Amino acid sequence: MNDTPTIGKTLKALLYLAPALLIIGTFNIYPIIKSFLMSFYTDYDYFKDIVNERGLSNYSYIFQDPEFWLSMKNTMIFVIGVVPISIILSLGIAVLLNQKIKFRGFFRTVYFIPFVTSVVAVSIVWRWIFHTQYGLLNHFLGFFGVSPIKWLSDPQMAMPALIILAVWKGLGYNIIIFLAGLQNINQQYYLAAKIDGASSWQRFKNITVPLLSSTTFFISIISIINSFKVFDEVFALFGGQPGPANSAQTVVYYIFNKFYGEWDFGVASAAAYALFIVIFILTLVQLYVGKRKVNY
Amino acid sequence: MQREALSKGFVYTLLIIGGLLMILPFVWMISTSLKAPNEVMIMPPKWIPDIFHWDNYVTAWTMAPFARYTLNSLVVVIASTIGELITTILAAYAFSRINFYGRDIAFAVLLGTMMVPGEVLLIPNFVTLANLGWIDQYEALIIPWLASIFSIFLLRQFFLSIPKELSFAAKIDGCSDFRFLWSIMVPLAKPALITIALLKAIGSWNAFLWPLIVTSSENMRTLPVGLTSFSTDAGTMYELLMAASTMIILPMIILYIILQKYIIEGVARAGIKG
Amino acid sequence: MKRFLLLAITAILTFALAACSNGSTAKTNSSNSEKSDSKNGQTSGITTTIDKPVTIEFWHAMTGHLGETLQKMTDEFNNSQENITVKLVSQGNYGDLSKKVMASAKARTLPVMSQAYEDWMTQYIQNDLITDLTPYVQDEKYGWTDEEYNDIVKVFRDANTWDGKLYGVPFNKSTEILYYNTDMFKENNLEAPTTWEELRNAAQKLTNKDKKVVGLGLENSIGTSFPTWVRQAGGTFLDEGSNKIMFDSPEGKEALEFLNGMMVDGIARLAGEDEYMSNPFGRGDTGIYIGSSAGIPFVSQAAEGNINWSAAPLPKGKVGATSFQGTNITVFSSATDEEKLAAWEYLKFMTSKEQTVFWAKETGYIPVRTSALEDPTWKQYIEENPVYGVGQLQFESGFYDPRPVGAFDMKNVVSKEVQSVLLGQKKVDQGLADAAKGAQDALDKAK
Repeated sequence: MNDTPTIGKTLKALLYLAPALLIIGTFNIYPIIKSFLMSFYTDYDYFKDIVNERGLSNYSYIFQDPEFWLSMKNTMIFVIGVVPISIILSLGIAVLLNQKIKFRGFFRTVYFIPFVTSVVAVSIVWRWIFHTQYGLLNHFLGFFGVSPIKWLSDPQMAMPALIILAVWKGLGYNIIIFLAGLQNINQQYYLAAKIDGASSWQRFKNITVPLLSSTTFFISIISIINSFKVFDEVFALFGGQPGPANSAQTVVYYIFNKFYGEWDFGVASAAAYALFIVIFILTLVQLYVGKRKVNY
Repeated sequence: MQREALSKGFVYTLLIIGGLLMILPFVWMISTSLKAPNEVMIMPPKWIPDIFHWDNYVTAWTMAPFARYTLNSLVVVIASTIGELITTILAAYAFSRINFYGRDIAFAVLLGTMMVPGEVLLIPNFVTLANLGWIDQYEALIIPWLASIFSIFLLRQFFLSIPKELSFAAKIDGCSDFRFLWSIMVPLAKPALITIALLKAIGSWNAFLWPLIVTSSENMRTLPVGLTSFSTDAGTMYELLMAASTMIILPMIILYIILQKYIIEGVARAGIKG
Repeated sequence: MKRFLLLAITAILTFALAACSNGSTAKTNSSNSEKSDSKNGQTSGITTTIDKPVTIEFWHAMTGHLGETLQKMTDEFNNSQENITVKLVSQGNYGDLSKKVMASAKARTLPVMSQAYEDWMTQYIQNDLITDLTPYVQDEKYGWTDEEYNDIVKVFRDANTWDGKLYGVPFNKSTEILYYNTDMFKENNLEAPTTWEELRNAAQKLTNKDKKVVGLGLENSIGTSFPTWVRQAGGTFLDEGSNKIMFDSPEGKEALEFLNGMMVDGIARLAGEDEYMSNPFGRGDTGIYIGSSAGIPFVSQAAEGNINWSAAPLPKGKVGATSFQGTNITVFSSATDEEKLAAWEYLKFMTSKEQTVFWAKETGYIPVRTSALEDPTWKQYIEENPVYGVGQLQFESGFYDPRPVGAFDMKNVVSKEVQSVLLGQKKVDQGLADAAKGAQDALDKAK
């Protein structure tokens, strides 16, 4: 059978693709373009859907808006807080789980549970755990002589609280990916190293870490991208506010507020595109490095 | 030998401490949800309430229309999961088994759009749905989610791994394309389809930002949206808040524990973010 | 295709219905015409009648006991009506409500009625979203007499009037009062503070580090009541005529410094994660709580079995000042004539003397009719429950919040900056300047 494209095959394929393309075209591809156009709407009658004026001022507005930079800063803090901690912890746990131990499946199940739960619901649970006077966390910290921390009402502590929640929630996901990566490492290396008398730390440092570098890189990029999009946690943890004195306002929260609070579609779209560009660059880096890995 | 045992003990200790930290919030949630109001805000905290107040669940369930929220969530989860499976199967088949003009370009474009964060799509999609008159209707909650590029990609890879000889054999037997897809490819791809369906169901059950924006009446809210509005109502009545949270969290944990093989394999294979 | 069909059907139905109602109302019209002619011929008259069941939605943000009370009143209304059914829809808090209304306006799925602050209404009027109620007020058959109209407390009437047109009726109106823990006050030989000085002293005395008691408790939304503090200090928050922000002044600074001083000394705190101060106050974690009079049922609930408490008017600064807050009920112009008329019946019911007294008794909001204040049941009630009478003691020093376009943004900015100062993120001068600049920008942008 000769498998080359023909008109007939193309028509048949279109038939198969039609449902998916209709949905994806309307709700994924068209809005990418529309959103870009909307970011130039500087005078827009939201109710009647009439654009009175277009221009670049939405972009100049967000770049001069201290709230936007605050959101960027908070988002950066979040990324810098969550990604390294989460990677170190999950790598450590994955290595432990990769030992010859009993109940490995059980432990894996337990660590992964938070990942399948509703962000909103667990954030409300954590709101209770973070309570200054009656919260579980401060109670435990009290055993170590730490005086009660105002996790949710002190602007300095809002980001750390958010980071703790996010690390807890996402740990299981990273562990699973690390485990998959670890299982791909040829056991021969470890055997050889053991014979050479390398300690377990040396084996970890000289075999595991380098051979796992592509997995680590994949996880970091995915984590960074997802951390840039944090919203649900903020909304639920601080009861629909972006933290005390906006101290936990993230970029997506900023977009949400401009869009759904102030109904300024132009500014909201411009901010969304700024976020997109950051994420786009990160994705390109990932693709580039991913390609290089294949060429090795 | 002794050192080995010691380090084993060390490994278990660390894993158990870590595991406890992971599930403690859920234990605390369930414990609080069963307390009397005057047992909640006390120090030191009480882990096991004197009497199990199961009535907290009834109170929470009736204080807000949780029955309706649950119904909405179920409708949305079931409809969008089934819908996505259908569109995905059809599209993945076309991309893996039919050689048509522009296939590779079309596929590349689709993969490319995956880079765009959902937040960028939010505003135009809201406008589109408003113009269609779908805001605050099931349509708005379901239809935009009936297809997923990622699922198509995943299933295409799986289809590609099925030997082509199978389809030649089927063709010789006079089996039509469509019948071949449903009676041979789909059963073979069952594990991948279950993974796709499960991740979709979990994601859709937990989804928040989109349902928050497109629903306004109480009747259309899904569970997470209903929960946040309930939390305004319940204020600091944590026993009720925890009861409501348990009702949303527990079904997914149970589903996960029963079918974890598919979820974990799916995540491990493709690094899916749910 | 489907939409076209729907449109066609709607058009046909509308036409048919219009024909019907014309026929049936013809009689009423003619019998009324004499009366309206004799008045001045201007009263257009409401020609709609309700002769088949109408269900109308009312979106609100009343939670807890407030929501239950609203439901009770609405049930009573529904039972008194043959054809009208009002369906309540809770939209969470005010922020959520405002968002949902805007989203639905775009999607053309607005309800018939909603609660609304005055500044929201300014924006709705700009976009032709809400109905001028004046024709309903003046209607012979359905309207109010002059007496009934003038009976609505003037400051509330004014707040609902734009260019001589009434766009809403006052519903849940509150003012800030001072709650205090009588047990603690007795223990420390204190009287309810009447000046800033006394407030500070009381907060100082009540603070007890060992028992983890902080003297004064303030709401997280302290920024939204900042206009009150500025006024008390003798300053101006906003010049309504020119839309110019005026609080970056010595008086504004004095107000913010006064609040911040107490925060720094650890004798005042914000509600923080408790969201509303009524909870910690009710637990006995603070001795004084400045908050809305609508918080009375929440305070009672939280305090039950824990503490004894009472309430007093706000202490004075240089002058006494307290703003009237709370929302009105407004009717959207997207509703049909029947729905609007049904809504008007509901508004009349809700603002009647009996209902406003009932509402006030249950919730701590202030009655919206002058006659209600003189009503014997009400008078007797506040004699027995003095805390409910505190709000109206402040009518004289009361003012209503400015309602310019862009107020949502303005309040957000001020709220955030005031919080930043009180939580130690910014110095007073810096916070005040940033707040003033941000607020002015918000107003200018919205223009």
